[in-house]
Amino acid sequence: MFKQTAAITAMNIRSIPQRLGMSLAAIVSIAFVVGVLLAFMAMANGFCATVSGTGAEDVAVMLRAGSQAELNSNMSRDEVLLVERGPGIAAGGNGAPVTSAELYVIVDGKKRGSGTDANLPLRGVGPEGPQMRAGFTMTEGRMFEPGAAELIVGEGVIREFSGFELGEEIRLGTNTWRVVGVFSTGGTVFDSEIWSEIGVLQNLYSRGSSVQSMRAQMTSPEAIEELQAYVENEPRLNLDVQSEKEFLASQAGGTVTLIKFLGWPLAVAMAIGALAGAWNTMYSSVDARTKEIATLRAIGFSGFAAFLGTMIESLALAILGGILGAVAAYLLFDGISASTLGGGFTQVVFSFAVTPASLIAAMILAIIVGFLAGFFPAMRAARVPLLAVHQD
Amino acid sequence: MNGATLVRKNLFRKKLRAILLLFSILIAFLIFAVLGAFNKTLNAGVETAAADRLVTVNKINFTVSMPYAYWGRVASVEGVKNVSQANWFGGYYQEPRNFVQTFAVDPETYMRAYPELEFTQGSAEAFFNNRQCLAVGADLALQYEWNVGERVPLNSNIWQQQDGTSDWDFDICAIFDAEDDNVPANYALFHYEYFNESLAFNRDQVGWLIINTEDPSMNDAVSQRIDAMFANSPAETETTTEAAFSKAFIEQLGNIGLIITLVTGAAFATILMIVGTTMVMAINERTREIAVMKTIGFPAPRIFRMVLSESLLLSLIGGLLGIGLAASLIWLMSQSPAVSGSLPGLSVGWRVTFIGIGFMIALGLITGLIPAWNAMRANIAEAFGKV
Repeated sequence: MFKQTAAITAMNIRSIPQRLGMSLAAIVSIAFVVGVLLAFMAMANGFCATVSGTGAEDVAVMLRAGSQAELNSNMSRDEVLLVERGPGIAAGGNGAPVTSAELYVIVDGKKRGSGTDANLPLRGVGPEGPQMRAGFTMTEGRMFEPGAAELIVGEGVIREFSGFELGEEIRLGTNTWRVVGVFSTGGTVFDSEIWSEIGVLQNLYSRGSSVQSMRAQMTSPEAIEELQAYVENEPRLNLDVQSEKEFLASQAGGTVTLIKFLGWPLAVAMAIGALAGAWNTMYSSVDARTKEIATLRAIGFSGFAAFLGTMIESLALAILGGILGAVAAYLLFDGISASTLGGGFTQVVFSFAVTPASLIAAMILAIIVGFLAGFFPAMRAARVPLLAVHQD
Repeated sequence: MNGATLVRKNLFRKKLRAILLLFSILIAFLIFAVLGAFNKTLNAGVETAAADRLVTVNKINFTVSMPYAYWGRVASVEGVKNVSQANWFGGYYQEPRNFVQTFAVDPETYMRAYPELEFTQGSAEAFFNNRQCLAVGADLALQYEWNVGERVPLNSNIWQQQDGTSDWDFDICAIFDAEDDNVPANYALFHYEYFNESLAFNRDQVGWLIINTEDPSMNDAVSQRIDAMFANSPAETETTTEAAFSKAFIEQLGNIGLIITLVTGAAFATILMIVGTTMVMAINERTREIAVMKTIGFPAPRIFRMVLSESLLLSLIGGLLGIGLAASLIWLMSQSPAVSGSLPGLSVGWRVTFIGIGFMIALGLITGLIPAWNAMRANIAEAFGKV
């Protein structure tokens, strides 16, 4: 049995060059399906990893209740002071709670790709702001001086937008700002931001002492619940409290779902098209060899061996196509930088990520196409009448 | 038996093969037309922009407001016919996920700025005279099943009233729409005065200005005059055409045009290979027949035309079925209020259809050329020798 199948498979595969064009068409069409699927998945995964993959579980984010995004939120100085008195907040070296009240406004940057204006977040941070982001490092230049109209810019901004290079002077309102440093947080969403000292920014935007959001370093992830309870029971506070991880995940959700909702139907539609092509290839493969198959059957090969031979040929073409598509998608898309409008109504710079899970999903899709494309032609091969020996 | 019958019979001589080929062509054109429809809707703001309309925003970014006084100052600029102002309300209905695109505007100048909008229920007077009126776009009214005479509260995720609440009560007193389906009507408008007087913060500010110039040829001059007027002030401005403003906004989402080009490119490359190789094989199988036809006097150019017609017919049938299926799917989707609310005017449209037909002809010619050439050049003696 095994020998028979192996013999027929070998014969089938050796005869592929006779149908080189059609076999290549089947391989390439499956490669395209896998490529398109992986490109969309890489986009979704890259965006998701950037926005939701990096939020800390032990940092609480506070926004005005119902505001949903930092841009929409506002908090008074009194509210900030009240929160600082809350439970579960870690104490710094001087015994004061580690919190960062922040301002979040939008400024224009020019997208390098299109030259059009795009929304970039300008965040005013307090002295504790940087250390509350894991992995914060200055990669070029220096930190802004307190009280000076100076900016530091995330790596992602530098990569995708022009106008914020080191040393550049930028006019916002009546002030001229200077870019004095470039920072990195290791590919998180903060790399798409521009930072300044909060006091200077409050002044420029005439915000007085009000802020938009507040972050607090908690003693543990569980301590957030204590703070939530405290805020809930304090009538002077009307805030939503959640962990930074939850907050960023809620910001990423819509975009990721949208990309996946586009990617899967497209890939499935293309897979159906490719299936028709592969089917065609396999039928002609069987038709072209009707006489050989009948001969083999006449000398005692089983119909099942003929079935398997065709099936394996089909699967081999599909797997070859799948690998080709996966390798091409990996080489073309993995790591490329892009940006889109994120949940905060500002640009989020992210890198496409071709993940092992998406590679497996894509290969499964290729194998399904190969299996379906092989099944009916293989049935035909198994049922070739012995009299077909006389066919010319 | 005339030429057309021969082409038809040849095309379907192997039924399964023809159907599979048609199917793969159908899928490619389905993808093309569906993506084309989405692209068209996304770019509707660019396509339907009036040539004489400009938008002035704060130079820092369009989310940053400007002093109320700018509205009056711009009205006096030479070449300006009408100026209106609008503000982003960030509205939602009952739940934050029921997002309602709402603008606080100056009603009379706003309706003058957008003459394509017409009231289908209620009237302009009702909107202008009722301070609490909410004028609702037809697509939005459909989405939430709102009717004239209803009273609805809308919450803002940005603004607060002095009493700390963030919901405003409205009377739905008018419903507007545009004759052109591509003009979106998925948003609502209300009185700036009603909004501004109760604001807890950021009062007497305007979000952006909408300007109609006396003539599109004056656009550049008017833009420069406006921006020069506010240069070196705390709120500098940036004035662009409505089309450029919409385009920049779409570009913020990413290079959608490139993504669509790549996906449809992949789909077309796939069918090009599948159909191309199959046609070559199908004609090869028929070499002996072609030799017979030549022997009985069919001229070579006629054989060339026949093979080419066959591939063209294949491509046109598959392609038109694909675009037809896409049009039906898109139509079904656009019947859902949720879709028409977020993507108003979603349809395949003539432009996409005509480009599609162009691609069908190109596909038919490319896939048919080599086999047609082979058939025309087939040598009778050699062809008969072939088994």
